[in-house]
Amino acid sequence: MKQDFIKFPLHLIFHPIDAFWDLKSDNRGRLLVAFAALVLTIVMMILQKQYAGFLVNYIDPRTINSIIEIATVAVPFFLWCTANWAVTTLMEGEGKFREIVLATGYSLIPVILIYAPMIVISRFMVQEETAFYYLFNSIAFFWFVLLLFIGMMTVHQYTVIKTIITMVLTLIVMGIIVFLGALVFSMLQQLYEFGYNIYRELIFRT
Amino acid sequence: MACTVKRWLVLLAAVSLLLVNAVPAVASPAPYESYNYNYWKEAVPSPDAYLPERTISGRDLGISAFKDPSDVNVSPSGLIYILDSGNSRIIVLDSRFKLLRVIDGFMMEGSKETFNLPGGLFVNEEEHIYVADTGNSRVVVLDGEGTLMHTITKPESDILSTQFQFQPLKLTVDHVGRVYVVAQGVYEGIMQFDESGEFIGYVGTNKVERDYGEYIWRMLSTKAQRAQMVLFVPTEFSNADIDPKGFVYATNIDPGSNEPIKRLNPSGEDVLKRFGYYDVKGDIRFRNNPGPSKLIDVKVLGNGMYSVLDATQNRVFTYDDEGHLLYIYGGKGNQVGTLKTPVAIEQSGEHHLVLDRGKNNLVVYEPTRFGTRVNEAVALHYRGEDTEAVNIWREVLKLNANYDIAYIGIGKSLLMEKKNEEALGYFELGMDRKSYSVAFKRHRREMMKEHFGTFLTVVITLIVILILTRVAAEMETEEAG
Repeated sequence: MKQDFIKFPLHLIFHPIDAFWDLKSDNRGRLLVAFAALVLTIVMMILQKQYAGFLVNYIDPRTINSIIEIATVAVPFFLWCTANWAVTTLMEGEGKFREIVLATGYSLIPVILIYAPMIVISRFMVQEETAFYYLFNSIAFFWFVLLLFIGMMTVHQYTVIKTIITMVLTLIVMGIIVFLGALVFSMLQQLYEFGYNIYRELIFRT
Repeated sequence: MACTVKRWLVLLAAVSLLLVNAVPAVASPAPYESYNYNYWKEAVPSPDAYLPERTISGRDLGISAFKDPSDVNVSPSGLIYILDSGNSRIIVLDSRFKLLRVIDGFMMEGSKETFNLPGGLFVNEEEHIYVADTGNSRVVVLDGEGTLMHTITKPESDILSTQFQFQPLKLTVDHVGRVYVVAQGVYEGIMQFDESGEFIGYVGTNKVERDYGEYIWRMLSTKAQRAQMVLFVPTEFSNADIDPKGFVYATNIDPGSNEPIKRLNPSGEDVLKRFGYYDVKGDIRFRNNPGPSKLIDVKVLGNGMYSVLDATQNRVFTYDDEGHLLYIYGGKGNQVGTLKTPVAIEQSGEHHLVLDRGKNNLVVYEPTRFGTRVNEAVALHYRGEDTEAVNIWREVLKLNANYDIAYIGIGKSLLMEKKNEEALGYFELGMDRKSYSVAFKRHRREMMKEHFGTFLTVVITLIVILILTRVAAEMETEEAG
């Protein structure tokens, strides 16, 4: 229990190359952990907007909306997983969809681990010290990107160059999915409007 | 039982009706909606700072109507000079708006001369009247009685081209008699003349705003195309005023500029303080409005405050010396207090005067309780008397609880009195992060000093307890073993 849910994730963020391989080959990843990481990241994002110190918090409190916060993290997460799966399937990636979700989810752990204390510490900072806040937030982000990179590389058994190419392609595919989604949505809407107009024509005729 | 409840309810309803009538719905006496910008750059309603008191037209003074008046100036002694361009005359009023005299010309070399579409005037401490006589390409200097002292005509200088047309529009004079002239078609800056009328040079130039898109476009064009493009020249100034320290405040009407107001030091550099949340440029957000403010006049009010007149929405914006927007009043319209084509703003005692060319009258605004209190508090703050300012700021907050500057003012005073923790709350309300940081630093140090002993005691006790439990546990295992 403790081994899988606490020790392994912590081991993973410091020894990503070994650990991602263990995650794939020894089947040590837990989907529950990946989703917990996603949920906690969302929670951290919300907490940061609401409770980060006055000196670093430039968010208009009236604009904080938890639903939107959830969407801004969860939608790209699943979009990334789907798009990556689509790209790597065509590019001889060895990763299964489950493994992609696991790798992406586990990569978010540093974000949680750094954001949580920084929210507390930022409340005791003065202006000169806020640089550290931004520094640590950037570290969290770059750590996440690094872990994601190593995760993708290990899960799909790619070379460095190929990983970079697939990651860029994944971003492009994410854009395409969003575009197609918007297109389908707008078409469905027009279809509905059309049907509704015909219905109205008919009922006004009688 | 039910009956009594019903009776009570009826009584309550009746009382509530009475109470509704007891509080009369107060209609704002202003014909415009006053507002101010909050930290998030939203225009939020604000109490009126100035209300129109009356208007003064030519008929009110017992003379013929004004015709295209173009400038108004109040001399240091309080006399009001209106430049009635269309009628080529200067109307002099005392501070109670009673007509003193009309100057409709002057004697020059034995013949009577008149003005030709004069654009601006300025009156100095000695009641000398400086008139920018635009149509006659000269600046006329008259003494208080209207007799000619000297004129400034087209300057002779190597830096001016031979085709140069001298058409002074607005002018201002400093206390040693240097004349600053805003002239038409001159984009090198404000023309500066010495007391004898010799051209000294230009002060303050508006910078050309770089437009990188245009720059690339220009690189790709052929020479013939480039020749047809518009030239990027700096914009002209629209008006100027001078503060008691001799700094020239100037406005320009460049719509793209974020610095349309300048405070020029003697060497011509812009030293205006811009410490507010947003640019000092009039309206910062325009939803249904036709775009950015076009600032056509500036008036230094004293105590570091200055008002600018916006010709887009016909409003007056007043700032303090640090660049905080204090209040906004005025608007478009045909009522008393709204403006049609405002051209100049002045201050006479507590009153503000706005000259309206469209309606050919002078609108007199008087400060409300809110406006007066804000002015007083800003003045006290400017003089460094923050402790006295606090009470006034508190009163301002009662009139407008959204007034951020008041929160900051109180916070700064509390900071001065070393009430750091209380100041924190005020700075947070006023969204002043810099001052908040200062207050918080002090507060944190105090807290550390006060609680460091307790903190160490707790830590040391914890360590001792930890060691003791370890030792105890070891001894137990040894015993067990």
